[in-house]
Amino acid sequence: MKITVTGGKGGTGKSTVATNLALTLAKKYLVVLVDADVECPNDHILLSTKLENEEIVKLFKPKFDYSKCTKCGVCIEECAENALLKFKEGYPFLMPTLCSGCRTCQLVCPEEGTILDDYRIVGYTYHTKLSENLELVTGKLENGEERSYPTVLAARRRALGIKADIHLFDTMPGTGNHVAAAIEDSKVVIAVTEPTPLGLHDLEMILKLLNKLNLKAWVVVNRSDLSDISHDSMVEKYGGEIIAEIPMSDEILKSYVEGVPVVVKYPESKPSKIFENIAKRIEEVISWT
Amino acid sequence: MDIVVASGKGGVGKSTLTGSLISLLRDYEIVAVDADAEAPNLHIVFNVKEWMEERELISAKTARITDACIECGMCDNVCIYEAIHIVNRRHRIKQYLCEGCGACKAVCPVDAIEISDAISGWIRTAHTPYGLLVSAELDVGKPNSGKLVTEEKNIAKQWIREGKAKHIIVDAAAGIGCQVIASFSGANKAILIAEPTPSSLSDLIRVHWLTEHFRIEPYLVINKYGINPGFDGIEKFAEEKGLEIIGRIPYESAVPKSLTAMKPLVEFAPDSSASMEIKKIAEVVEEWL
Repeated sequence: MKITVTGGKGGTGKSTVATNLALTLAKKYLVVLVDADVECPNDHILLSTKLENEEIVKLFKPKFDYSKCTKCGVCIEECAENALLKFKEGYPFLMPTLCSGCRTCQLVCPEEGTILDDYRIVGYTYHTKLSENLELVTGKLENGEERSYPTVLAARRRALGIKADIHLFDTMPGTGNHVAAAIEDSKVVIAVTEPTPLGLHDLEMILKLLNKLNLKAWVVVNRSDLSDISHDSMVEKYGGEIIAEIPMSDEILKSYVEGVPVVVKYPESKPSKIFENIAKRIEEVISWT
Repeated sequence: MDIVVASGKGGVGKSTLTGSLISLLRDYEIVAVDADAEAPNLHIVFNVKEWMEERELISAKTARITDACIECGMCDNVCIYEAIHIVNRRHRIKQYLCEGCGACKAVCPVDAIEISDAISGWIRTAHTPYGLLVSAELDVGKPNSGKLVTEEKNIAKQWIREGKAKHIIVDAAAGIGCQVIASFSGANKAILIAEPTPSSLSDLIRVHWLTEHFRIEPYLVINKYGINPGFDGIEKFAEEKGLEIIGRIPYESAVPKSLTAMKPLVEFAPDSSASMEIKKIAEVVEEWL
């Protein structure tokens, strides 16, 4: 079963919720935690573990055999990213940073063998075994690479290839298709927010995205005692449900700065009980499916 | 002068600092650019009630499968975005993943795929009490929010050419992908913000790499200074890289309260120690201007 932790705004506590929930669920189930925040993956830091078993994420780029090219220009016309150019009567050439790796140029080229396969490295994936019941798959974007989507997909593919009871995805902030790819097909989506006008605004954006995906959110309000801003009407409007409020606490702060998740360091604390309750709700969903 | 405020990690205080700096430096005719199209927040910090202008940006394309489809599945084989799925035995394109590259159209043997223009999102501008603001919002689930950011920066640069403003301060998105790279394009100086945690350090290292890559002079602000006295990783990194620390903003409850009040921190709590430190940072920025 696939579960996703997301939220729109950055820094609301997605990774804190995802790692603690993964540890709680791993007491009973085989869990693969997937760090799909490929631009800034941090789950391994919160779990104090090193990333292991690196694999490269490659993206196609065209390589021209000019001896076969007729300069017909079809590849240039069909490139949606305008990544192919030519000067006057010259041969087409590639602006590598614009290329999306979609292969359309190769597919439309009428002279077979003119556009050959080359690739660039756009990211990495990792697979770390944390315990008998918990494994971590992480995607990490190559430095300087703009396109995070292919690395999200590669991490998703690698994670879903591992047999488990629960695949728990932790997404990037934001609402683009790199977030949608991590969320789609989830049975449960947890949106982590905070009671500030900024948190509320960005929660609406992620709830809109979930509506497009025909999904309803379980909303977790983190630092819930920060203000008395209510999320009720917003969540109601999009058909979600507020399932937990996590007040600020010394336990969370201490465990965060020390790099030991709160459910491990303070298993009897209030936040740990909240994670247990969320895990119970997930258990109910598992028992229905 | 074109200054970008970035952090890698979300929620460490980019919009709070940007909002306060622009409030303090309002006499310098600064255009504020909110470069987080997936979770735009600066207009909330400035309490913008009305947009001066709002328009759609059409820079995306999207594919659709027509009734001519013979369900051969060739499109699915070439789609690198994994955007094609089967619903009731018919091939369909998930709009929230499609980037409109046209690879499916190139291989379709019966010409059953239509490519059309799609809205990427909206660009908005406003007069605030502090000067001009450009903001953008991605249509949720769409690709390439970086194109929105590029368009925003073009508007800001146009205003400068027309003499409507003199400087640009960009509030970048979380992460290090397309939106952040678009924010960095043409910038002179970068203010990087980090908080004293291992996660934030990891993300700072990644965003600092980008400043070196794009040859933008980086400066560092440590936010929530003092929450983690045992951790000196940020300062060590700064020393190692010769990264000048231009401010250490202490954690204060006035910060979240100012967000709730929708006022820049330096106006909401001008005498707080956090505001005092931001004023020192503003003096540094003032010299740049």
